[in-house]
Amino acid sequence: MKILIIEDEKELADSMADYLKEEDYRCEFAATFLEASDKIEIYEYDCILLDLMLPGGDGLKILESLKSQNKQEGVIIISARNSIEDKVKGLQIGADDYLPKPFHMSELSARIHSVIRRRHFGTTNKIHVNELEVDLLAKSVSVHEKALPLTKKEFDLLLFLLGNKNRIISKSALAEHLSGDMADMLDNHGFVYAHVKNLKKKLAEAGAKEYIKTIYGMGYKWES
Amino acid sequence: MNKLLNKTLVYYIVSAFVLLLLSAPSYYWFSRKLYIDDVDEAIQLRKDDFIKDALNTLTTSDVPTWNRFNRDIRILSDTVSKVRESIIQQEFYDSGAKELEPYRVLYSDVEIEGAPYTLMIRLNLVEWEDLVETTGILYLIILMVLLVGFVLVSKIISSIIWKPFYRTLDLMESFDIASQEPFYFSESRVVEFQQLNKALEKLTRQNLRAFQSQKEFTENAAHELQTPLAVFQSKLDLLLQSPDLTENQAEIVQQLYDAVARLSRLNKNLLLLAKMENQQFADKEDLNLNAMLEEVLPYFSEQAEEKNIQVEAELDETIQVHSNRSLAEVLINNLLLNAIRHNVQDGSISISTKQNHLQITNTGKASALDADGLFKRFGNPSQHANSSGLGLAIIKMIADLNQWEIDYSFSNNLHHFVVKF
Repeated sequence: MKILIIEDEKELADSMADYLKEEDYRCEFAATFLEASDKIEIYEYDCILLDLMLPGGDGLKILESLKSQNKQEGVIIISARNSIEDKVKGLQIGADDYLPKPFHMSELSARIHSVIRRRHFGTTNKIHVNELEVDLLAKSVSVHEKALPLTKKEFDLLLFLLGNKNRIISKSALAEHLSGDMADMLDNHGFVYAHVKNLKKKLAEAGAKEYIKTIYGMGYKWES
Repeated sequence: MNKLLNKTLVYYIVSAFVLLLLSAPSYYWFSRKLYIDDVDEAIQLRKDDFIKDALNTLTTSDVPTWNRFNRDIRILSDTVSKVRESIIQQEFYDSGAKELEPYRVLYSDVEIEGAPYTLMIRLNLVEWEDLVETTGILYLIILMVLLVGFVLVSKIISSIIWKPFYRTLDLMESFDIASQEPFYFSESRVVEFQQLNKALEKLTRQNLRAFQSQKEFTENAAHELQTPLAVFQSKLDLLLQSPDLTENQAEIVQQLYDAVARLSRLNKNLLLLAKMENQQFADKEDLNLNAMLEEVLPYFSEQAEEKNIQVEAELDETIQVHSNRSLAEVLINNLLLNAIRHNVQDGSISISTKQNHLQITNTGKASALDADGLFKRFGNPSQHANSSGLGLAIIKMIADLNQWEIDYSFSNNLHHFVVKF
């Protein structure tokens, strides 16, 4: 999978590439508007991470030209301008997602995961992990071909973990993810613990292996 | 408070009255002197006429007849003990009016057929009281004319001369710094008004610029902070992946996570305030607050579980508002968040909607909060590490933007926040 990171802040771009390499993504960089325009002209990517404020131009212009060329790349806008107008405009032009800075790497990874899944596996979008099957469209999970009823939060949590396989996810990142729009209002990690505990219990009862590991003092990790 | 023009009018009228009053005695004296001089002249004239025309033709036997027909020019015996050839003031009894009347009188020695006589010529004067009365009436008329004149003149002055001043006054009154409307004064040909307008224009322009740059600064600063925060957080996420992280180091990373989360929350709130000040939430829609409350209640109830807080909601009456959705959400979230964050273990929260009032009551610190500083930015020194110190300032600003009222009270060891929509 190829990902283009259009971001002028080198440190941030490096961090993203570093975190994403675990998933076997190949990352390329573009730090200016021109560079980005050139790259999307010549190459094809599975997903493009697009910063809106670029030296040399507005990132939304890149999105517009992508769409006018009928390119199939998934686009996630990552912007320091956390404004509703930008978000609405970006999504209207055809971005798949909008992620305001600052964000957790795990959140980014989960979103890329979801965008790529959506782009590549249109109608039968199922994730298989050994005995586990996750149907992204039906939002259902089965273990050993037996349906496993999960709450919406638990399903969210499972997807988030699967989007960050073999990496430690901090409790803060999980708390923010599960809080959604109410994100990062309360530094309250207790409810994360409760949801993780419930999910682990349900998976274990259904006969799945113990994929979710608690890393003491740090967070959680999906190992498979 | 008096209007400027009324005040000048009163001064004009009072001073006119005083001036007239002061001038009255001299007016009286002058007019009286003029009158007496005139009368004296007439007496002198009559005397000359008498001596020229009548005296030569008269005989002593004519004297009684003359005196019978002439009231004011009489020929008397020369025994009258009055000063001669000088006009004097004297009173005579008037049998008609039955009172003493003032006269100017001239006594003069004449000879008729060699016999000495005294000629008396007199002219009746207007009575003193009559003169005073006439003067008074005259003055009253002058005063009335002046009064009407002053009122008219001040009206005209106000519509011509003071007009630019009142226009400036209206402009200043309607000036709203937040609206960022530039200021246009009309030209005036009066130096002072021109000066005033220039000074005000300068003052308001400076204010607008200061206000604008302060707003822009906050927004730009908050935006600029987002990227380094993102870098910081991304590096923490990477650090967490290091396989040889010790327990101690992991704990430090966790503390850094908390700090960066707090920083980013603070930044977001500052940005939100700046955006509100820049009126970036103009689009409004009809909102059902009850529905919005019900939507977020499960999340907050879950958050409240950690402190074992009982959350009760009595959403009896539907509250409909016309507002910006994002801001209404922030208002609700911040109120609920506040009730949880500043609550105590095993506490309670009750939420109710009644007659366009949203009331949130919670247990917490056992004393009232400082109501004055409560809604100020960083005005409520919180012992809470997680509090940004901006939550209530944001609530207040959202309420102000929507002309909603927010009240805080403390009773029965409970904190009450009421929003009146």
